[in-house]
Amino acid sequence: MITETIRNSKKAVIPYITAGLPSFEDTGALIRALADAGAPAIEIGIPFSDPMADGPVIQKASKMSLDAGFSLDELFLHLREWCGSVSIPLIVMTYINPLVRRGIEETLIRIKESGVSGVIIPDLPSDPADIFEMSKSIGIDLIRLVAPTTKPERIKDIVEKCTGFVYSVSIKGVTGSREIVPQGLKKQVQLIKSMTDLPVCVGFGVSKKEHIEEILKFADGVIVGSYLVEKLMDTANPVKETNEAFLRLIK
Amino acid sequence: MKGYFGEFGGQYVPETLLPALEELETAFNDACADADFQAEFDSYMKDYVGRPSPLTHAKNLSQHFGVDVWLKREDLNHTGSHKINNAIGQILLAKRMNKKRIIAETGAGQHGVATATVCALFGLKCAVYMGTEDIKRQNVNVQRMRQLGAEVVPVSTGTATLKDATSEAIRDWVTNVDNTYYLIGSAVGPHPYPIMVRYFQAIIGKEARAQILEAKGVLPDAVVACVGGGSNAIGIFSGFVDDPVELIGVEAYGTGADKNAASISFGFPGVLHGAMSYLLQDKDGQVLDTHSIAAGLDYPGVGPEHSWLAATGRVLYKPVGDADALSAFSLLTRLEGILPALESSHAIAYLSTYAVDNAGKTIIVNLSGRGDKDLHTVLELGL
Ligand SMILES: Cc1ncc(COP(=O)(O)O)c(C=O)c1O
Repeated sequence: MITETIRNSKKAVIPYITAGLPSFEDTGALIRALADAGAPAIEIGIPFSDPMADGPVIQKASKMSLDAGFSLDELFLHLREWCGSVSIPLIVMTYINPLVRRGIEETLIRIKESGVSGVIIPDLPSDPADIFEMSKSIGIDLIRLVAPTTKPERIKDIVEKCTGFVYSVSIKGVTGSREIVPQGLKKQVQLIKSMTDLPVCVGFGVSKKEHIEEILKFADGVIVGSYLVEKLMDTANPVKETNEAFLRLIK
Repeated sequence: MKGYFGEFGGQYVPETLLPALEELETAFNDACADADFQAEFDSYMKDYVGRPSPLTHAKNLSQHFGVDVWLKREDLNHTGSHKINNAIGQILLAKRMNKKRIIAETGAGQHGVATATVCALFGLKCAVYMGTEDIKRQNVNVQRMRQLGAEVVPVSTGTATLKDATSEAIRDWVTNVDNTYYLIGSAVGPHPYPIMVRYFQAIIGKEARAQILEAKGVLPDAVVACVGGGSNAIGIFSGFVDDPVELIGVEAYGTGADKNAASISFGFPGVLHGAMSYLLQDKDGQVLDTHSIAAGLDYPGVGPEHSWLAATGRVLYKPVGDADALSAFSLLTRLEGILPALESSHAIAYLSTYAVDNAGKTIIVNLSGRGDKDLHTVLELGL
């Protein structure tokens, strides 16, 4: 479902939002608003206490969500409702540890049964537990990341064990807005595309309308996180302001 | 599987870092096979660190406990702890790899000082990440690092201790991976760090084994060391792991069952900072806040090899709390005239438990560091 949706989308800008921020109700409302606004898919981040791949904005958001009482059990309750309320695919982003603690297979099944279409695990470069095979038999997409440092032979291995889309990390570094589109990004995306028919979406650091337009000339989609998540914190009306920020990016 | 000790270990890092880990592994393997590298390491150990460190027969302590106690004196190394062994080994490796900038994390500041020291020695740029909580309680070491020319980067996220400093160092590494060498301070992190740190710390065990054989003519009955990430422990254990010698790792029990840093005793397998290992975490896999009076033990994880040694039963891991560590600190100071680090005091404290059923037996305690840095903490408690 994710693959087709991105292929059929004219301007695939995928919003990333932190779950449970400022509340589960707000996350639900925001998902519906973003879907109405034209998001082809939404990435829902599970907050983690030690988000190694994230910059200051998502670190802070994760902490705020956890401090507000985020729990996986409550998330699972809401996931089903959220998935049922929109017709676009929802994707879950989670660090590996919550899955390990809860049991990788059981938890993936639970996420799938809630109606989620795919998962992204930012700290699972190799796959000792064979999560790829597991997700294939469960029927949930495992979206994998390719970094600017990833060598061609390895890209080939990654895309062979990837479903949904390939997540092309734009920069060496953690998530968070950047001022420029990195040199070499276009080449990286083209290299990935030469090795797979899957759509290739670019994420990490993207926060500007001009950048999105530039990237969409060579990539199939863009993921925008920190720029939106920032609006979820310390604003008067988080859902409204985040959604408006998204609308400004895609209009 | 490569990089695993049983189910523990691995490389759970952002994709960006994988090539850097591969490069590191290759460089490390080349160095291990290079006699010149070994000779260079040995010469720094001897002439700069001051090795071999003595194995001191603690006669008063032995009398006090009724067991024969020997202290492996890592406190006498240059910079005051075992951390310098690993720092020298890794800086020589970084030089071979032609890296120009060094980053490190530190808790007690001992690894930070060791790293700042070797960076001064080799003229390399150095940034040390340190939690703001630790900056407060280990201020002497902060000042030492600054005098040595290192930049101490305060980390105020999360619990503002070693765990958060480590996360921040990894984020720096992901960002500056081309020119930066991450000089990790314990037997933790993604492969190859745990085996690499063990390799450089193994000198402790090698020396201790030879020294006790020289002094007593027999192997000890037991060897005990404190376990934060586990580098001093794995260093001394590696000398005895194939012998019929009881090995005991002491974890920090903090103030008790609900506030400690005893990952093996109270944790569950999980992934933090790149490796699968025992981890203090809640039922959702969120990492718990930890506490130990010893900043160097105040960490929710532990090196993967220790998890494996615990799972196989080869090493016993025992918790010792703040209060007992403080008593041991005073005891060693008064009886032997040796002021131990609060980390090492945890290992000393285990002697009172060991003595109960082992009268007359011989035990080596790894005295991983000296306690000057902890005077501030001890004085604040009015001891
Ligand atoms: C003196 C001393 N001992 C022990 C430790 C704990 O580290 P590890 O378990 O890696 O030996 C530290 C860490 O800072 C230390 O400074």
